[in-house]
Amino acid sequence: MFKKLIHMIFLPCSEVTLLMEKRNAENISPAENWKLNLHLKICKWCRAYKQKLEILDDILKRKLSQEKKPEINNSEIQDFKEKLFKNLDI
Amino acid sequence: MTKNETIKNWIEQYSEPLLRRAVHLLSDKVEAEDVVQEVFISAFSSYDSFEGKSQPLTWLMTILNRKVADFYRKKYKSEPYIKLDHFFDETGSWKNDDVLHDWDVSNKETELLDDKDFNKTLEDCLEDLPSRWKIPMKMYYLEEKKAPEVSQELDISTTNLWKILQRSRMQLRECLEFNWFAKS
Repeated sequence: MFKKLIHMIFLPCSEVTLLMEKRNAENISPAENWKLNLHLKICKWCRAYKQKLEILDDILKRKLSQEKKPEINNSEIQDFKEKLFKNLDI
Repeated sequence: MTKNETIKNWIEQYSEPLLRRAVHLLSDKVEAEDVVQEVFISAFSSYDSFEGKSQPLTWLMTILNRKVADFYRKKYKSEPYIKLDHFFDETGSWKNDDVLHDWDVSNKETELLDDKDFNKTLEDCLEDLPSRWKIPMKMYYLEEKKAPEVSQELDISTTNLWKILQRSRMQLRECLEFNWFAKS
C-alpha cells in the first residue's frame, strides 16, 4: 500500500531507474536530480538497486575496458584488396 | 589515368586507413570489411561526382561515415519499445523483492573479477543481452565515451540510449543476482 502511494506522489520506480542512468552519465537536469534524490529517500527498492548499480558499473568498467578491440592485420588487409579487385573486376 | 586505374590505386592506398576506421567504429572485422567494400563500390559508381576538390581519402571517409550510420540505422530501426514490465508492475513499482537481497561484496569488486567463475558468469550474462544493446554498452565503456558521442556514432537518440542502458543493466543485475549472488 505504501509502495503504491509513493508512486502516486513521486515518480514510479521504472522512471527513477532511467534517471539513474542519466545521472551516471552526468546528463541529468537539476529538477530530475531533485526528484531522484527525494524518491531514493523513501523507496528502499530503488535504494537497493542504486547500490547494486554502482557495484555493477564498477565491475563493467573494469571488465569491458580490459576487452580489446579486434585488430586488423596486414595479411588480412592484403586479402581484402585482392578479394575486392576480383569482385569489382578491375 | 582511367577510372579503373584510379579506383585500383585507391584500393591499394586507402584500404588500410578505411578498414582501421571501420573496425574502430563497428568493433567487428567481418562487418568492417563489408562496409569498406561498399564504400569502394559506391565510389566506383559515383566516381563522376568526385571532382577532385577534396583529397580522395577525405571523400572516401565521408562515404564510410555515411555507410556506418546506415548500418546502425538499419540495426536499430526496428527498435521496439523497451519493455520494462518484466521488472515493474503497472504502477511502475518493483514487481518483486529480489532487488533487496544483499550482495556480499565485502571481498571487493576487484577480487570478484579475479574469480574465474565470476568472470564466466558475467560473460554469460553479457552474452545474453540482445546485440543491439551490447554495442552501445561496450561503446559506452570502451574508451569511456560520453553518451552524446555514443548516440551520435550509433545514430540513436540519447533518450533511446538511456533506455538501452537502463534495460541492459536491469537485466544484468537480475542475471547476476540469480546466477551468482543468490548462489554464493
